[in-house]
Amino acid sequence: MKKIIRVRNLDYIYPDGTKAIKGIDLDIFNHESVGLIGPNGAGKSTLLLHLNGILKGRQGSVEILGMKVEEKNLIKIRQKVAIVFQQPDDQLFMPTVFDDVAFGPINAGYSKEKVREEVKEALKEVRMENYEKRCSHHLSFGEKKRISLATVLSMQPEVLILDEPTSNLDPRARRHLMKLLKNLTLTKIVAGHDLELILETCQRVILLDEGKIVANGGAKKILSNKSLVESHGLEVPLSLKHR
Amino acid sequence: MHLPEIDKFAHLKSFLHSWDPRVKIISISILILSIVLLQDLRVAFLGLALVIILVFLSKIPFSFVFVHLKWVLFFVLALFVVISLTVPGSLLVRLSFLSISQEGVKLSLLISLRAISAALLIFPMIGTTRFNLTLKALQKIKIPDKLIQLLMFTYRYIFLFLDEEKRILIGANSRGWVRKTNLSSLKTMGNLVGMLLVHSFERTERIRDAMVSRGYNGRLKILDEFTLSPKDFIKASLIIALALLLNLSRWMR
Repeated sequence: MKKIIRVRNLDYIYPDGTKAIKGIDLDIFNHESVGLIGPNGAGKSTLLLHLNGILKGRQGSVEILGMKVEEKNLIKIRQKVAIVFQQPDDQLFMPTVFDDVAFGPINAGYSKEKVREEVKEALKEVRMENYEKRCSHHLSFGEKKRISLATVLSMQPEVLILDEPTSNLDPRARRHLMKLLKNLTLTKIVAGHDLELILETCQRVILLDEGKIVANGGAKKILSNKSLVESHGLEVPLSLKHR
Repeated sequence: MHLPEIDKFAHLKSFLHSWDPRVKIISISILILSIVLLQDLRVAFLGLALVIILVFLSKIPFSFVFVHLKWVLFFVLALFVVISLTVPGSLLVRLSFLSISQEGVKLSLLISLRAISAALLIFPMIGTTRFNLTLKALQKIKIPDKLIQLLMFTYRYIFLFLDEEKRILIGANSRGWVRKTNLSSLKTMGNLVGMLLVHSFERTERIRDAMVSRGYNGRLKILDEFTLSPKDFIKASLIIALALLLNLSRWMR
């Protein structure tokens, strides 16, 4: 299988001296769905920000589709790797839904027609076709989450990264989002504490704690390992407990 | 909660609503400039009357205009009092040790009329177009990008800021805090404002990450959707003619 992401010996220290990532090695393959789990402060979000070049490690390397994450490749990498952040209000910063969904394609230099086409397609994919002219601040939280997803799908990325995609969603909105994610065939990395979602949408799980990978393997195998998940501040998902 | 939406009535239909935002902003800005340059009190009254007619034609309800104008009116009132009392000239009224001059009243009236007219013109100019289109129009007429981004983020996040303020106040009230004018209350207010600023700063970092991850490089790129028609130029000619006519008397002296 084609390797999409290659991380080697990655270290990251925050300006206040906190060691967030310690010597991480990681490979992610084409069309894989990988769950990134771990307790709060494990380094999940920090690792994700390295995959798009927002953060740069103190040492080690990150390669996306064979391109090193460095200044000269950033424009291309940011088109290929899309991040949906935890808080949709941080992702939706433009005055209207159309402008937000069009933001990435315009920055990528698409023609006007292509931008309109991509916006239409992305909104259709998240089933929000008639929302183009709406203002983001008038949307419900669930709608904002779906529009956030559209803002990155419009860039036609090869890798989709979702940071806590279901946090604060009501059960119906969560189900909608889960269904949407399952239908997306691109390479996905889903970070968070919603282990049911990860079990349902990911084949592989990476368990991170204190900036290190402590387990990496099949989703069911890792998530059903009670002693492993509980020793890292997590719980076996209910659906696996009752089997 | 009351949201400060200046474009609440942008969906209505009037000759101002259908006007190309770029031409509208330039034309009305010229009218504002001409009004603030007026020197004659009678012409300033005429200017205010014309502006009120424009607001009426924009179909924006006067109740909405007044709610948003009240802070300007407070400011103008303060200015009116100060100028009336401080400009020397022939005595009009004496109240104890305070004296009001005719020249002072005339000047404060002139300044007040100009300020109210200029503030009122914001409504037909900005309130008849969706705010996102106003921003695009400003970008098209080469207003500096940084200023447009500042306006855009202010408008987008003011709602969140107000929500956050409300949450922080509820948190404080739920623990027995009541807003008073004593030192302890002011200290708490200071802490609350500080927390709001910290939250806002953290949010700006997250927004920056979201923007950078979608290819932002410091310049805001927006698709424009404008087309000019002869009608836009006719409307512009009318407004600019009005602006010139108001100042005609000054030039003819």
